[in-house]
Amino acid sequence: MSHLAGTDLPIDGRLRLFAALLGAAFAIFELRLFQLQIVDADELREQALRNSVRTERLDAQRGEIVDREGRVLAKTRSAFELDVVPSDLQRRDVTFAALAQLLEREPAELVAQVGNPRGIARFRPVRLVGDLDEVQLARVETHRFALPGVSTRVRPLRHYLDGSIAAHVLGTLGEIRGDQLEQEHFADYRSGDIIGQTGLESILEPQLRGRSGGRNVMVDAAGREVQVLDEIAPETGSRVVLTLDLDLQRAAWDAFHDVPEGEPPKMGSAVAIDVRNGDVLVMLSQPTFDPNLFSGGIDSASWKALTGDEWDPLRNRAIQNHYPPGSTHKVIVAAALLQEGVVDAHSRAFCPGFFRFGGRTYRCWKREGHGSVDMHKAIQQSCDVYFYTFGVQLGIDKLANIAKSFGLGQATGIGLAGEATGLVPSSEWKQRRFGERWYPGETVSAAIGQGYNLYTPIQLAVSYAAIASGQLVEPRLVQRVESSEGVKEMPPSQSKPVAVSPEHLALVRRGMTAVVEEPGGTGGRARVPGVKVAGKTGTAQVVQLQHTEGMKETDIPIRYRDHAWFGAFAPADAPEIAVGVFVEHGLHGSSGAGPVAQRILARYFEKRGMTPPPKQVAGPARQEAPRGVD
Amino acid sequence: MASIDRRVFQHFDWLLFALVWSVVAIGLANLFSATHAGAEGRLPTEFKRQLIAVAIGASAMVVVLLIDYRRLERWAPALYVGALLLTASTLVLAPVTRGNRSWLVYGSLSLQPAEFAKIGLVLMMARYFHRHPPGRLNRLRDLFGPGLILAGPVGLILLQHDLGVAVLTLLIGATYLLFVRIPARAWVVIGAAALGALAGLWTFGFKDHQRKRILDFLDPTRDPLASGYQAIQSRIAVGSGGLTGQGYLDGPQTQLQFLPTQHSDFAFSVLAEEWGFIGCSVLLMLYLSVLVWGLVVANNSKDGFGSMLAIGVVGMLFWPAVINVAMVLGLAPVIGVPLPLISYGGTQVLANLIALALLMNVSMRRYIF
Repeated sequence: MSHLAGTDLPIDGRLRLFAALLGAAFAIFELRLFQLQIVDADELREQALRNSVRTERLDAQRGEIVDREGRVLAKTRSAFELDVVPSDLQRRDVTFAALAQLLEREPAELVAQVGNPRGIARFRPVRLVGDLDEVQLARVETHRFALPGVSTRVRPLRHYLDGSIAAHVLGTLGEIRGDQLEQEHFADYRSGDIIGQTGLESILEPQLRGRSGGRNVMVDAAGREVQVLDEIAPETGSRVVLTLDLDLQRAAWDAFHDVPEGEPPKMGSAVAIDVRNGDVLVMLSQPTFDPNLFSGGIDSASWKALTGDEWDPLRNRAIQNHYPPGSTHKVIVAAALLQEGVVDAHSRAFCPGFFRFGGRTYRCWKREGHGSVDMHKAIQQSCDVYFYTFGVQLGIDKLANIAKSFGLGQATGIGLAGEATGLVPSSEWKQRRFGERWYPGETVSAAIGQGYNLYTPIQLAVSYAAIASGQLVEPRLVQRVESSEGVKEMPPSQSKPVAVSPEHLALVRRGMTAVVEEPGGTGGRARVPGVKVAGKTGTAQVVQLQHTEGMKETDIPIRYRDHAWFGAFAPADAPEIAVGVFVEHGLHGSSGAGPVAQRILARYFEKRGMTPPPKQVAGPARQEAPRGVD
Repeated sequence: MASIDRRVFQHFDWLLFALVWSVVAIGLANLFSATHAGAEGRLPTEFKRQLIAVAIGASAMVVVLLIDYRRLERWAPALYVGALLLTASTLVLAPVTRGNRSWLVYGSLSLQPAEFAKIGLVLMMARYFHRHPPGRLNRLRDLFGPGLILAGPVGLILLQHDLGVAVLTLLIGATYLLFVRIPARAWVVIGAAALGALAGLWTFGFKDHQRKRILDFLDPTRDPLASGYQAIQSRIAVGSGGLTGQGYLDGPQTQLQFLPTQHSDFAFSVLAEEWGFIGCSVLLMLYLSVLVWGLVVANNSKDGFGSMLAIGVVGMLFWPAVINVAMVLGLAPVIGVPLPLISYGGTQVLANLIALALLMNVSMRRYIF
């Protein structure tokens, strides 16, 4: 047995033990390497891939929305945002001071916006400005090299070229909500996506959205992009052509804004449709808002201002609000009277200025009375007593059936969210609603549109279009959808005949033409040179008369003022366009709403080459109509 | 310097020389891969510094080879005390980096004297065991002398708050326990003392993050983003190397810098990712060959000092290598111990090359009396 020199140790003892220990340790390492690199290799390689390959979605550009003549109403433009990556900032103080000067803002404000993120958050860009204007962009770009960690980035931003002019129709964008993410048809959306939240932007979301692409990017441990591995380009969303006519929409807008200096614009709504096919040419709701505010994420101050506004500018009054129709309802009653044989063209009633029924007295708006009145005069001068007299004979249920055939009391099918149905009362409805029978006295009020009846402005336009054509047509807003796969025309609107024969309707139309065109009519304000216009005014009482009795109109608080209605179509003998105008607290149908309808009709026929452009009238053209004229 | 016997060069240990320089070459190539991603086309700074350390190490190796190691037995106490003084000087001169004072910095030069303290320790231990052959040490109290020698450097390193290196130094000294003849009772006492020390360390010695590392080792998913992160990323890098590796300079984990301290403590996982099972096995075999050859040198040495010196050098390489590889492979907690000759670190490379030169020195003089 050999010994380690001078140590008295047998080498085959301790040294071999040591060698064996070494061998054992390295054998364990080899086994472990085998386990990791051979057995688990695939799984760990996949984990490595997940570490470094990031799949990014490339958002498609949202499609344009254009009017019937191709004028762009909403498009997606490139906005430049200014980002700061905190980890890349050198000399923070200098950078922020320089940025503040370039952006004309306070350095402290910028510092506060970026904050002091820690950990991995330091590598994430912080958005300092969402939409740089050209000057700011040019300044920042010029000094970019002196500003490490500062970068500009293009991002899509929805832009509504005419601002608030058709805000309620076009709608708004917003970040997808949690409850939406859970719904089936948002299955391929993710948190943080911007989607159409209201109006057509919401209804047409599937068409406008396009198809997103994607790419795989290799990133390093800090999340920086190193290399693009592959990419599928996104597909731009469809271009949607609306039925709206921007010129007419503007005319309606101008009419609502044509007020004496210092007064707020009128409130209410105007709807114009093509009588022949239901195309919606105008849909305006006032007060309105700027949908651009929502595009980049609305700030809380603007949001509070909009939702806290007592007049609720976010509401689309054209379809979401219904109001008592007042005398605009009389033409429907007239059609029903004729159809049910209660009256003919020559039937007369005597109007002494009031009507006694069931121990109560119902007044005509004209205190001194209209005298002997036939249907033509009753419509032209809006005689209440005529309709009281014969309405009672007709009965509420026959009236209701015919009114419904004009599209009243039901959604028009316009396809926008939140459409109100309005209300056409009947004895069955009252029983259901109040558990009470219908009293004939209620028919008296209903005959002049002051009972339970409620219309939305679009229902007024649609029902008047039905008087004009004899067909109840479903209004539509979208003409066609153009995508890379082709043009998809929307099917023509459904229409069905109303429950009134054409000769009876012709009689009603004649009366309506007299309203505008003949002396003594209540709608003279809607005359358009060169074109015969048919129409009907309406005033809906907001509070009982005794609240405002004896007050000068201008002294009545706005909230207590009557609503003004005006429905019209033209040309009277071959109707093309029907208009429904509602002016909230506008006092009188004739003076409050009539001029709005006039502006829309005039513009329409001017474009058709049927009437000369209107002369600008200087000075305040407004005349106070005598109180109570309807 | 005394004239050098011609026979010395006839018996030069070319095998050991080749093994060592193969490992060094692998280390340099690996370091380049681990650092070039961040260097943007220039030669990485760490790589350049390591290259300089290797060059200095090569020169030191020549100097060490020229000196007959038996002469070093006489010089051992002086070298030991000198190394201790150098180590102690850090307590006064060194700036605090990463919570400890173990670096001497002069301009862009920095030195970790603890690495040299290990050499001093090995020389001193070899001298002690040469004079008191371990085969005759058969009582616990016989270990008092070597214990005192060991206590010097370990104590100083503890004062620097460099717990990892202190434990490592302790283990290097403890290597000699393999060779003493003490009764079972004594082993029980040593075992109990070790356990006691461990408990003491856990309670008083470890900082919170060190305790956390050990807990994270026992359950890496405890906190996958903190110290567990290193273990997980290292496992992924090693495993994704597969049989043949992702290719040199092509390991995604490495090149995208998912591995923390991939050039220093986790250098082995870079190698594992880029060279795979085959590459790892080659390096491990080279290591094992160096270590086993060291034992052969110890066996063949003609005097006790040479044997004990060789055993000390083996211990000096063995412990950090085993701890480092075990850590990279997820068999041990994350402890900041570099892999000798592979990890980035100039002092480590220099000290290990000097130690290996001592081994060659013993080997080439095995026929000289």
